[in-house]
Amino acid sequence: MMKLLKVFRMFATGFVLAMAAGSWAAEPVRIGMSMAKTGAFAAAGAGQLNAYQLWAEQVNAAGGLDVAGTRRPVELVVYDDQSDPAKAAAIYEKLITSDKVDLLMSPWGSPAHFAVVGVLERYKFPMVGSSAASLQIRSLKAKNIWFPTSAIPDALGAELAKLMQAQGVKAVAINTVQLPFPQEIKRYLVPAVQAAGMKVVYNEEYAPGIKDMTASMVAIKRASPDAVISLSYPEDSMLYMKQAREQDLRAPFQFVAVGPSIAFFSKMFGANLDNIVTLGHWSPDQKAWPKAKPFFDAYQAKYGEAPDYLDVALAWVSAEVLQQAVAKAGLDKDKLRAAIASGTFDTIDGPVAFEGVQNRLTPAMFLQFQQGKGQIVYPPSQQTAPFVAKSGWQK
Amino acid sequence: MAQILSPELLLAALMLASTYALVALGLNLIYGAMRLLNVAHGDLMVLGGYVAWSGFTLLGLSPLLGLFGAMLLAAGLGIACYTLFFKRLVRNTAIAARLEANSLLIFFGVSIILQNLMSLVFTADARSYSYMDTLVQWGSVSIALNRLVILGISAGATVAVLCFLRLSVFGIAIRALIQQRDAASLIGIDADRINIVVFCLGFALAGLAGALISMTESVTPFGGFPFTIAAFVVVILGGLGSLGGAVAGSLLLAFVEVYGVTLTSAAYRSILVYGLFILILFVRPQGLFGRKAN
Repeated sequence: MMKLLKVFRMFATGFVLAMAAGSWAAEPVRIGMSMAKTGAFAAAGAGQLNAYQLWAEQVNAAGGLDVAGTRRPVELVVYDDQSDPAKAAAIYEKLITSDKVDLLMSPWGSPAHFAVVGVLERYKFPMVGSSAASLQIRSLKAKNIWFPTSAIPDALGAELAKLMQAQGVKAVAINTVQLPFPQEIKRYLVPAVQAAGMKVVYNEEYAPGIKDMTASMVAIKRASPDAVISLSYPEDSMLYMKQAREQDLRAPFQFVAVGPSIAFFSKMFGANLDNIVTLGHWSPDQKAWPKAKPFFDAYQAKYGEAPDYLDVALAWVSAEVLQQAVAKAGLDKDKLRAAIASGTFDTIDGPVAFEGVQNRLTPAMFLQFQQGKGQIVYPPSQQTAPFVAKSGWQK
Repeated sequence: MAQILSPELLLAALMLASTYALVALGLNLIYGAMRLLNVAHGDLMVLGGYVAWSGFTLLGLSPLLGLFGAMLLAAGLGIACYTLFFKRLVRNTAIAARLEANSLLIFFGVSIILQNLMSLVFTADARSYSYMDTLVQWGSVSIALNRLVILGISAGATVAVLCFLRLSVFGIAIRALIQQRDAASLIGIDADRINIVVFCLGFALAGLAGALISMTESVTPFGGFPFTIAAFVVVILGGLGSLGGAVAGSLLLAFVEVYGVTLTSAAYRSILVYGLFILILFVRPQGLFGRKAN
């Protein structure tokens, strides 16, 4: 019995010593965020949180985050905003004032980003944004948030028209869901298409939550366009894919805005996704971005599916920007803000630098799925594969 | 105008109607027969979808077999839900008047628990697979096979439930209970047993609907709510507890959605569908086939 006690005491002392040794090591850098873990945006938020967690794991495995020369482990502090932007704002306030986190990472989607801008400004706490894209960001005079996306509606509209023109498109059909981002793109796409001498042969909008598109598909087919632009969100993007196939829409240029870059889409549509053009300004196959492929492989290995080419890639880019700025400036908010605002960052999406709140280096791009892989087909300077016309649907 | 007569639109409307009918079937039993506001109906469908998805992706099992698993699991949940939450509530005459409101709260809780459990087990990632999506050609019309399967099974399930209610002893007892709860107990109908059967069946049908729809739509843990809404609209439109009414309601909704959109614009889809709903409730508050309340 005494022996047992002795052994126990030995272990106990050892444990306490180990704990003490642990506390001598560097304090972790605590990084706070709110994420849509439940509610309507949970499926979209999941990939972004995956990216942040993978990033934290890799940083810790490499010996910790470089804070102006000292390595410290990172610890993520994540709260569920239940897909409610107002809750996101309250959470960021709590993260800053009560949890006193060292750094912040961004929530999912434009509404949550816009909701937290006020909090960031009030506490002068810099945060790199990710999955937000809207013309509205231009009107922000914020000094503590930055948007790495290049999928801004006015540029998208103009560039999409150029891509179509380069493919010899003459007649364009546009079908738009009544939601802000797709409608913003349409507002710039229609004049750009007309200015380029192409004809808009069909231009209709539909209500979100629509369950059947047959009538629209029949009407589009009758207008026989050589480009169909579906400015849609994942739910109705699926509907477009199913019903365009059933109605055998043969347009060689088919664009589906949001959805195709997410993993579940290719699982549902397989080879039918091939040669569909979509939004996206990142591809693992871009040789000029050496970090892109390792990120893709690491994500696939950990989560068993490809990352969303758009939001997940952006989340990773935002983490890279933060990481490189902290390495230079440390955790002081003023120095960090200056470092993010003035620096050029080497990311999986190539170099990123900001002018105001906007990324000024990454141009608007478009992806096309080819044999299951998202390839950049536009602009020519960034191309990873040439555009291929869609040659019908599989029976 | 010639477009109105096209077979594509007719088939699209029938397909949509069959989906609406299928989604509403299970809810009709529980809300229609027992007046319990099952707001977890859509979440049970999502659960059914996950069973079919896991069966297909992990075990290579056809969703048409997986749907039996989905029905069994949902039926088991139905029994658990009834014995845990409703057994005493239904018996207690003092709170019987508040049963409908209480059931809303209970099912709301069940809905949240289900959503979060599914999110923990399956993560919030959208899941999907591709099964029986070859195109079937019928003259000028072509349609994905899995949608035809949904049409067939939906029609079959509706007829089966209708026969069950009309012809089997259990079904007759359920109808007796709907009409006169106290009198039914007096003549020896075991209300408890009947309630369990209704729960089992109602939940299992939700599981069936979810498993089938997972062949054509993606599954996410928080994606059940739109199904719940659609089911309530169809059941209320058709008249509570009336299966024939629900079928008529589904057809009406689907035809208004497909043809209304053709004649006006897809931008008016929600206005058309919910406008029709409000209009019918205005004219016939008891629904198309509902009995007038005394």
